[in-house]
Amino acid sequence: MKKYLSLIIVSVVIVTCLSISCSKSFLDRQPNGTLDTTVVGNQKGVEALLIGAYSMMDGYSSGAAFGIGGWESAPDNWVYGSICGGDAHKGSDAADQPSIIPIEAYSADATNSFFYQKWRAVYEGVTRTNVVLKVLASAADVSDADRKRITGEARFLRGHYHMEAKKMWNNVPYIDETMTDFQVPNPKTNVPNTTDAWPQIEADLQFAYDNLPELQDAVGRANKWNAGAMLGKALMFQQKYAEAKAVLEQVYLNGKNPAGVKYGLVTNFADNFNAATKNNLESVFAVQSSVNDGANASNANYGDVLNMPYGGPWDCCGFFQPSQDLVNSYKVDPVLGLPDFDNYNANPVNNDQGLKSSDPFTPYAGTLDPRLDWTVGRRGIPFLDWGPHPGYDWMRDQGYSGPYSPIKDVYYKNQKGTLTDGSFWSSTVTAINVNIIRFSDVILWLAECEVEGGDLNKARDYVNMVRGRAANPLGFVKNANGTPAANYKIGLYIAPWTDQALARKAVHFERKLEFAMEGHRFFDLVRWGEAEATLNKYLDYEKTLRTYLSAAHFTGSKNEYYPIPQRQIDLSNNILVQNPGY
Amino acid sequence: MRKKILLSATLMFFCVLQLMAQKTIKGKITDATTQQPVANATVIVRGSTVGTQSDDNGNFTITVPNANSRIVVSSVGFDPQDISLQGRGEVSVALKTTTSSLNEVVVTGYSSQRKKDITGAVSVVKVKDLESIPASTAENQLQGRAPGVTVISNSEPGSVASVRIRGFASFGGNEPLYIIDGVPAGSLLGINPDDIESMQILKDAASASIYGSRASNGVVIVTTNQGKPGPARVTYSMYYGTQDPGKGFKDFLTPQEHADLTWLALKNSNQPLTSGQYGSGATPVVPDYLLGGSSSGLFEGDPAVNPSLYDLNFTKLGDANYTPYLIVKANKAGTNWFKELTRKAPIMNHNLAVSGGSPDKSKYFFSFNYFNQDGIVVQNFYKRYIVRTNTEFNVKKNVRIGENIQLYSAQNNSAGNNGEGTEIGNSYRILPIIPVYNINGDFAGTKGANLGNAHNPVANRWRGKNNGNTFFAVFGNIYAEVDFLQHFTARTSFGGGYGYGNSFTYPSIEYENSENTVTPVYSESFGKGSSWTWTNQLTYKNSFGRHNVTALAGVEAVEDRGRGITASRQDYFSFTNLRYINLNTGSGTQSVGGSPQDPAALYSQFAKVDYDFNGKYFLSGTIRRDGSSRFSESNRYGYFPAGSIGWRISEEPFLKSVPWIADLKVRASYGEMGNQRIRPSNQFTQFSGSAGASFYDINGTSNSPSQGFYVSFIGNTAGKWETNVTANAGFDASLFKGTEITFDIYKKKTKDLLYNAEQLATAGGTASANPPAFNIGSMQNWGIDLGITQRSYFGGQKGVRMDATLTFTTYKNKITGIAEGVPFFDQDAGEGGRLNGVFTRNAVGHPIASYYGYKVVGLFQSADDVAKSPTQDAAAPGRFKYQDSNGDGAITPDDRVFIGDPNPKFSYGLNLNFTYKDFTLAAFFYGIEGKDAVNYVKWWTDFYPSFQGAKSKDALYNSWSPDRPNATIPIQENAGNFSTNGPPNSYYLENASYLRMKNLTIGYKLPSDFLKKFKIDRFYIYVQATNIFTITKYTGLDPEIINFDDRINAFDAGAYPTVKQYLVGATVNF
Repeated sequence: MKKYLSLIIVSVVIVTCLSISCSKSFLDRQPNGTLDTTVVGNQKGVEALLIGAYSMMDGYSSGAAFGIGGWESAPDNWVYGSICGGDAHKGSDAADQPSIIPIEAYSADATNSFFYQKWRAVYEGVTRTNVVLKVLASAADVSDADRKRITGEARFLRGHYHMEAKKMWNNVPYIDETMTDFQVPNPKTNVPNTTDAWPQIEADLQFAYDNLPELQDAVGRANKWNAGAMLGKALMFQQKYAEAKAVLEQVYLNGKNPAGVKYGLVTNFADNFNAATKNNLESVFAVQSSVNDGANASNANYGDVLNMPYGGPWDCCGFFQPSQDLVNSYKVDPVLGLPDFDNYNANPVNNDQGLKSSDPFTPYAGTLDPRLDWTVGRRGIPFLDWGPHPGYDWMRDQGYSGPYSPIKDVYYKNQKGTLTDGSFWSSTVTAINVNIIRFSDVILWLAECEVEGGDLNKARDYVNMVRGRAANPLGFVKNANGTPAANYKIGLYIAPWTDQALARKAVHFERKLEFAMEGHRFFDLVRWGEAEATLNKYLDYEKTLRTYLSAAHFTGSKNEYYPIPQRQIDLSNNILVQNPGY
Repeated sequence: MRKKILLSATLMFFCVLQLMAQKTIKGKITDATTQQPVANATVIVRGSTVGTQSDDNGNFTITVPNANSRIVVSSVGFDPQDISLQGRGEVSVALKTTTSSLNEVVVTGYSSQRKKDITGAVSVVKVKDLESIPASTAENQLQGRAPGVTVISNSEPGSVASVRIRGFASFGGNEPLYIIDGVPAGSLLGINPDDIESMQILKDAASASIYGSRASNGVVIVTTNQGKPGPARVTYSMYYGTQDPGKGFKDFLTPQEHADLTWLALKNSNQPLTSGQYGSGATPVVPDYLLGGSSSGLFEGDPAVNPSLYDLNFTKLGDANYTPYLIVKANKAGTNWFKELTRKAPIMNHNLAVSGGSPDKSKYFFSFNYFNQDGIVVQNFYKRYIVRTNTEFNVKKNVRIGENIQLYSAQNNSAGNNGEGTEIGNSYRILPIIPVYNINGDFAGTKGANLGNAHNPVANRWRGKNNGNTFFAVFGNIYAEVDFLQHFTARTSFGGGYGYGNSFTYPSIEYENSENTVTPVYSESFGKGSSWTWTNQLTYKNSFGRHNVTALAGVEAVEDRGRGITASRQDYFSFTNLRYINLNTGSGTQSVGGSPQDPAALYSQFAKVDYDFNGKYFLSGTIRRDGSSRFSESNRYGYFPAGSIGWRISEEPFLKSVPWIADLKVRASYGEMGNQRIRPSNQFTQFSGSAGASFYDINGTSNSPSQGFYVSFIGNTAGKWETNVTANAGFDASLFKGTEITFDIYKKKTKDLLYNAEQLATAGGTASANPPAFNIGSMQNWGIDLGITQRSYFGGQKGVRMDATLTFTTYKNKITGIAEGVPFFDQDAGEGGRLNGVFTRNAVGHPIASYYGYKVVGLFQSADDVAKSPTQDAAAPGRFKYQDSNGDGAITPDDRVFIGDPNPKFSYGLNLNFTYKDFTLAAFFYGIEGKDAVNYVKWWTDFYPSFQGAKSKDALYNSWSPDRPNATIPIQENAGNFSTNGPPNSYYLENASYLRMKNLTIGYKLPSDFLKKFKIDRFYIYVQATNIFTITKYTGLDPEIINFDDRINAFDAGAYPTVKQYLVGATVNF
């Protein structure tokens, strides 16, 4: 037996070893490729977390760990702000992205996946800002100045993300860093949506305005002045015109971008929508887009990936087609060059509906605001540098969705591959920045402030400033031979506005023309209290053209806000309360 | 017949070391019925570790301790005989054909037992029957073979089937634990089915909980062939066959019919009667050409279709300034895309095995397998080589050292399965008017007006023909065993696998589609993974009078790790020359990614005691303690106890006299099993940064974003084991007329179910989209497993012998909890972007993966009908009328109800084997009853606006119109909405029950007298047909629909169909 004793002993030793001394360390296994709080809890780590907080500005995140958002959470709110504001239709064909159809018809319910994605993307942004603030508190190597700056940027972004939610749903929970914990289920973040979030949003933006420096080391960073503009925006949404005016005037007079360039209007209106001319002096705050950067288009303007013409040289997808109502809005009086606020849909701009590209067509000969052709692609008019728009051949289903194409989010032919992403399945993701606030926003907000409690002449001056820029023939769309592509005319408001109501109409209409297809219209109509009347009037006209809207109706005191995603209400155990009417 | 003897490396458990005087005896074993010699019978000296096998002539030689020793002779299909030598030097043994399989010794968890003594729920699979289904992996063969096991086979070559034992214990990770020669494996893919000697399925806690934290989904124990003592025996077997793709989808509309449907839909939508292809005006006209340059809907003679204009320059494609000039003729007869995409595909298998050994010294088994299956989809294949060597050496009388190791090498080109983006998916999404090729023989596609956005599936396959995956793996174990102190055996086994895979996708550029992929990208990835398991165990076996005890205890350590790297490159000077293309030779953007897998480790102790009194009363208990790195230190260890009792009633006096009962045992068990299948890093909160998730171009460069971080995972330090409590009761009966019945009824409850339930979005996107697993859910299953085998002779023992096996499986699953306050979660199977909502809802009180949506009660017949009905968005004549479930007069999301259940009421398999003289006939039927499926293909084909693509005949001829009030398909329109193709509703639901004749084999064994002249022991040839017919009401491609997530079931987006196969095969032994 002795012979085998050794073997037995060996076995026993192995058993003992594994069971006692080795097991503890054997079972301690740290994950790969990640960091913990101790590694990021310093200035470098916090700065990187702050970049991460900015990176949700585009409403989209993709990666090994998870994907969130997409065109549903596009920062330009093309569905919620523009389509629902009457600028455009879903476009494309009847089947693609069917969830937009009920949203467009104001009949969407709380289970619609678009709202859910938008909500998730916005609150991921909020969380990232809170993580910055939380980790910053434990980072010892940050100077007071940097601490102020980082806090300011994070709170600026937090204010912005919450404002996005506020615009959409009105009754939204406000989440700050004290509620954010690296532990879920996280009851701290399960807060009710019954308290108005404006005061906290305002406080965040005020803090940013008071503490951020003028100059920053990167053009995409928030500085004092865009915080001021953002604060102004939050005040505009609350109809606090006097307070808004105070801060916006400072921005108007002294505002500079992070590189120290004073804000102003660019000469060419179109430069605001061109990846090659981004971060110009008119860009107050924008979502930075980059392409061909190894991220498979995740840092590009992914939210607008669908919003290109279709067919011909285009890879995809034919969405976001402007409405006839929008096109008609750009008609101007042939003498004065001014719009007709109320009856613009009489004698509409003709179009090529029902015509093939090979059929003859003559574009509208009447006078038009030149911004139309930088906003709407239409048959026969040069489309950026792609040549004349051929109409039918660039429509996915003209009979369903109409004859127009979007243009502000479309790339130039000569940018394909350089300012569009080459690694993506189509070239439709671009490096075009998404404008959150343009300087013309600041100007027209100031015009509103003057209308609502100031000087109508000042208001008129502000509006004329914006119109004056558009009137510069240098900025007109031109044919190959250099002649204007259409009968452009745009006049200033020369006659004084004697009546506040008329002034209000003029300012509101100017915002429509200036910012069409930029995702603001619906939210403007709601904050002005004009949504129900304006949008039902819009539907009455547009449903005769787009038959799928035949039953659409905007219900007042309901459709001003979107439904809180049902899933979030469920997950909150009904702590979140649904909006009225849903 | 191939010899399949259930013998294992754990033979020593039944043996006791003998050191006394020895004697050699000789013997011959014959079949009592036929008087033919029985080869490969096992001969064991009772109470020792000494054993041997009979040779081809039934002869054996064995050394026995003394003249009065007893030997036990056993062989599959025969009753074992216990023979007292009583001094004889030579014995002849006539084995009687068994009437019962209960004496088989089967391998169970860390031990082996006589089948008749098992008190847990264990299914012993008849391995020989498995081989009658030609398949790349044994999982597919398992369907219908074992009660309690539900298999949804995966018909794509080289793919793993879904195997679920007793329903679903969790929302994910319900695959059983596979133990191959004592070593855990993820699946049976990569194991040569011909190498499998035995397979047992441990279903209840009593049998499985010795595997503790990995046992909750049941355990499949596989033992590979071991060498048989004796001279080298060579077995060569092969089959070759062809697979018939069949007819495919139901006929779609012809081009003219599609044009008619288009006009119908436009009329119904008050849209102008115009189309980019079919002209304008009262009647649609099918064009001669779909595309000529940038024009569509053209006719012969049109200058745009002049062939001299044709221009396709591959080197310029992708250049913004280059537009090819393509000319595509309309296929007026209509392209049958399924037919174009598929082919009659060959399947073949060659297997060579050598087995032998010298008694008491060594044994060896060697095999080589080549398997090659082409898919019915063009350019789709799976090819495999496996070499296995299993050897064992008796280095001392009481010390054995051995190994079971295989090398596996495979290549495949996958066609995908069950997705609208696969080529099968595109074959129902693309219009039949589009030809496969254009006038120049280049691919044709959806480029042109109103042709939709599908991809030419044939083009996709051909472009991808050089893509593929290669795998290489080593898998197996080495072990040593020592018998000592008469009753003890110590065993140590170190095993595992090391494998790597390489996959590559060659660049291609598209030109024929409306939505072309314009950037050619070459991508390649490498990944490797390793896993090892070291098991040390001690077994004690003894008898005290009528008390029999087997006890074992052991420790085990397991570790898994892996790494991977992926890279891609753009812009190649030439992408037709494959040898040119690698990651270095592209000139454009490159990207590299790495994915080290988080390591995981398990350290465990286990023990088991089996006791029986006189073979009549049984008591068994097991316990395992597992420590897992997946849980934080405070919750790291879990205990998994189980116990069972058994009572052989047939041994009681009151039953002994019942003439028709040979053996009857009742048994019951209770215990706990665990589940730890969560990400290894579940407890850790992590920060990370990736370009896609957290980088931002703060400097406005347009191409160089700055690095950013985010919280990429929020850890749950409180996570602990998921526990599965199982109660089982059953009986095993052997009746004298050749009937055996095994019956089990069970209840299985999962508590502390680990689920990564979605968290509130206000806790952040990470928590919302990628939450950690919490012990929050619960689930239960109950069901009945029934297996009946019947062995009968017609015309006496020399007449026709019939072996029939019926298996019957049920499970009733119910989710009993998801998370505090969370009554359900929905699961998107890919339809979420198409419909407004998804079909599948996992909800408390309902079975897993139930279907949920609006219930269609009919179609609105008139405006009056609409007015009288509850208000409904987009209600109009001819559209769906939904059930107002809550009766509030309005159709809202609250009116959605559970509309179907994809979990079958029961499934069954019937296997029939007939043997007459040298002829065999085998038939196998499998059926599923009471199963619902969602035929998502109908969304594409039955509604005009669901993209331009193939449409069903029903859409044109059986859709609603005022003069077709009884139609079931809504009015065809060019607009989607809530009342037509918008939301998930009961329209798509179908009964997916089916009965399939899976196999019919006719075989013939050549006469042995004849074969002897060629020194061949045995020569068996057969012809076979599989999947001969399927009886079903399901209208899709195939009612057997595999999904790859347990939270979705029977959702059909065009699953790779099960097809008919015709084969010839042969087996030769010499």
